[in-house]
Amino acid sequence: MIVQPDLEFIRSLKAAGGDTLKKCFQCATCSVMCPLSKEGKPFPRKEMIWAQWGIKEKLVTDPDVFLCHQCGDCTANCPRGAKPGDVLSAIRAYAYTFYGWPAPLAKLASSAKGLPILIGLPVVVIFIMWLLSGAMRFPTPTEFASHGYQQFFGTWDFRWYAKNIFFIVLIMVPSLGLGLFSAFKGIYTMWKTMCEDAGLNREYRPAIVPFIQDFIWPSLIEIVKHTRFRECKTNINRVQGHLPLMLAFIGLFIVTCWSLLKNDVLGLFWHSLHGPLPLSDPFKLLANVSAIALLFGIGVLWSNRKKAECELNTQPTFYDWFLIWEITAVGVTGLGAELLRWAGMPILGYIVYFLHLVAIMMLFLYLPYTKFAHLLYRTAAYAFEKYRQSAFGKNI
Amino acid sequence: MTDEQGTSGAVLVVGGGISGLTAALETAEVGNDVFLVEKGPSLGGRVAQLNQYFPKLCPPSCGLEINFRRLKDNRKIRTYTMTTVKSVTGGPGNYEVTLITEPRYVNSNCTACGDCTAACPDEIANEFNFGMNNCKAVYLPHEMAFPRRYIVKKSALSAAGAAAIKAACKYDAIDLEMQPETLTIKVASIIWATGWVPYEPTKMENLKFGQSKAIVTNMMIERMAAPNGPTGGKIVRPGDNKAIESIAFVQCAGSRDENHLEYCSHICCMATFKQMSYVREQYPNAKIYVFYIDLRTPGKYEKFREVRMADANASFIKGKVADIILEADGGVTVVAENALTAEKISQKVDMAVLATGMQPSLGLQGAPAELKLDASGFVISDFDKAMISAGCAKKAADVVTCTQSSTAAALKAIQVSRR
Repeated sequence: MIVQPDLEFIRSLKAAGGDTLKKCFQCATCSVMCPLSKEGKPFPRKEMIWAQWGIKEKLVTDPDVFLCHQCGDCTANCPRGAKPGDVLSAIRAYAYTFYGWPAPLAKLASSAKGLPILIGLPVVVIFIMWLLSGAMRFPTPTEFASHGYQQFFGTWDFRWYAKNIFFIVLIMVPSLGLGLFSAFKGIYTMWKTMCEDAGLNREYRPAIVPFIQDFIWPSLIEIVKHTRFRECKTNINRVQGHLPLMLAFIGLFIVTCWSLLKNDVLGLFWHSLHGPLPLSDPFKLLANVSAIALLFGIGVLWSNRKKAECELNTQPTFYDWFLIWEITAVGVTGLGAELLRWAGMPILGYIVYFLHLVAIMMLFLYLPYTKFAHLLYRTAAYAFEKYRQSAFGKNI
Repeated sequence: MTDEQGTSGAVLVVGGGISGLTAALETAEVGNDVFLVEKGPSLGGRVAQLNQYFPKLCPPSCGLEINFRRLKDNRKIRTYTMTTVKSVTGGPGNYEVTLITEPRYVNSNCTACGDCTAACPDEIANEFNFGMNNCKAVYLPHEMAFPRRYIVKKSALSAAGAAAIKAACKYDAIDLEMQPETLTIKVASIIWATGWVPYEPTKMENLKFGQSKAIVTNMMIERMAAPNGPTGGKIVRPGDNKAIESIAFVQCAGSRDENHLEYCSHICCMATFKQMSYVREQYPNAKIYVFYIDLRTPGKYEKFREVRMADANASFIKGKVADIILEADGGVTVVAENALTAEKISQKVDMAVLATGMQPSLGLQGAPAELKLDASGFVISDFDKAMISAGCAKKAADVVTCTQSSTAAALKAIQVSRR
């Protein structure tokens, strides 16, 4: 085999926190130390040499890269300070950019240089929408008290579809849609290549329902329970941050769905259902608990990251921090907007709410290119691992 | 000896192992006065503990005996055992060194008859054999000890024991009131041949040394294989004395590792190949597994490696053992990834040998003088200051390299004394 090292790839790994990869001398301590590395196909030793050689084709379609939870057990025990955990994280960062579509956007989201545009784009879009909506004004304290932010984009007479919802959907659905489409495209390519690499016969495969039942659902259960995360030793306290954060996202997802249903479906028939939820409402309670859990979780992850940078000498990277900043921004502006509503401060409230929309749009739009993509790619890798071990993984 | 500048031409050699002996003899045979100090009760250092040593796989008696003979015949060398350097003042050509000699509690009347040992009721773990057996609290350090004089471990001696050994000695050689003695000497230059200690194996928590008798170190294998060792030369599993059907050598145990010794200890690969021979001689059918990162057998040692690797019952696995699991039957399972096949391997064996590396003694205990040590604790020679390192105090090395660097150190020391 003639290896053609991809220097660009190696450089990008170094930039994304994998600057230590050349120190690896292949002793394979990491593969034994890794609590997630299975008997048959241990990692991350083989990934380290592929990365050193710049064989990116193998890495971006390697399920093990995505099964790594960056426990840090390999890094803590590495005799060379090659930090395999950080290198695998850098490979994931590269993979998200590699699969990202459209490519220029993916590239933009991969470095701090893109930050002005990354923030500027949603700011401009939402501001233009606000101008287009014709609302363009701050509410009076009375209006603010009764409607909150529900007339941010104004209101019109057409009762079957509220103007505010129209604009929010116009902004968020394409953002999330593009994100999900790009991620789907990436995962589809990845899955296909992973099957080829594993020598699986793609003619013989399950229908959608059993596929979800047998592979996706058990993966989701495992993820929600944090089963694998808990096997880590060195970075085990990340669970205390990641678990509340993940539950908060699930909680807020439920609240958003309910709020859409209540305001825009049920609200069409029972007008009293419009307007902000009272504090005693169980969904409002869930929303507030989730918001606090989100801020708590991201706080723990923030401080853990800082600690790792001090103690384990982990390199601070844009890839890691961008997601932490994004989620913090969503949490702070969301809770801030609510507090300002209670305080009856419409102008400041509207500005913070505007920023909240910006933060959410960023989270959606850049989903497949940033670290946030792990929630889709890692789930896919979990499912693939189960798939490979099932009857479908046997070559008949 | 004082030259025209008023400097002393004497040389101090710190450490009485193979390197210190060589440096002292080479210096003295040129005509300089030499003070040879050794921390332990006898000379010969680590080499004395080996069963066989490179390059010719001689027993240590072979190389040490001739050096002891040269030492006895040379009136220019003054030897101090149980002695360490307390402080060094002055400058090159004119160092004033304070030595401190710990009490041996046995005076020069001792004829090494052994009556005291026979009479002594108190036992201690035998340090020379890494605690694999016990010896009496009054003992000869080892069979070949030179100077051939007994020593008392007073802290382990009971009142009855003290009375018994005193009564047993016909020569009035036991003196339990002996006190530490301080001595000041003037020397021109100092050779540091302070040697090494085996890296503490319990520091590698994942290798579980001390949690199972089946996990031993390479130096323990040397003692077991030695005819004067705790098992009389038989390699068996400590504790239950089980004959060895399978054995794993765990290379780089604590070496080439930033968390332990960051350097390659140089000798462990060759030591393992040598110990494979010990095992093979005693157990023609035993399975031998060697787990390694790289096999380092420089120069002519390549031949030595080739012969061992041709052994049909020996497997070589490229992958560091990163976990050892204790088994109920007294054996252990070593876990590694074979980097050549990308498979995880769990190999059950009767005994696992940790090829622990060399840690420079001064790296552990600190330098008693203003010495330049590198980050690992090896002594960096400073010829301007007449502070010269030799042997394993300089770098991890085999015996041949040590004697070469000691001869070189002797020459440097002489040059300073004649400046």
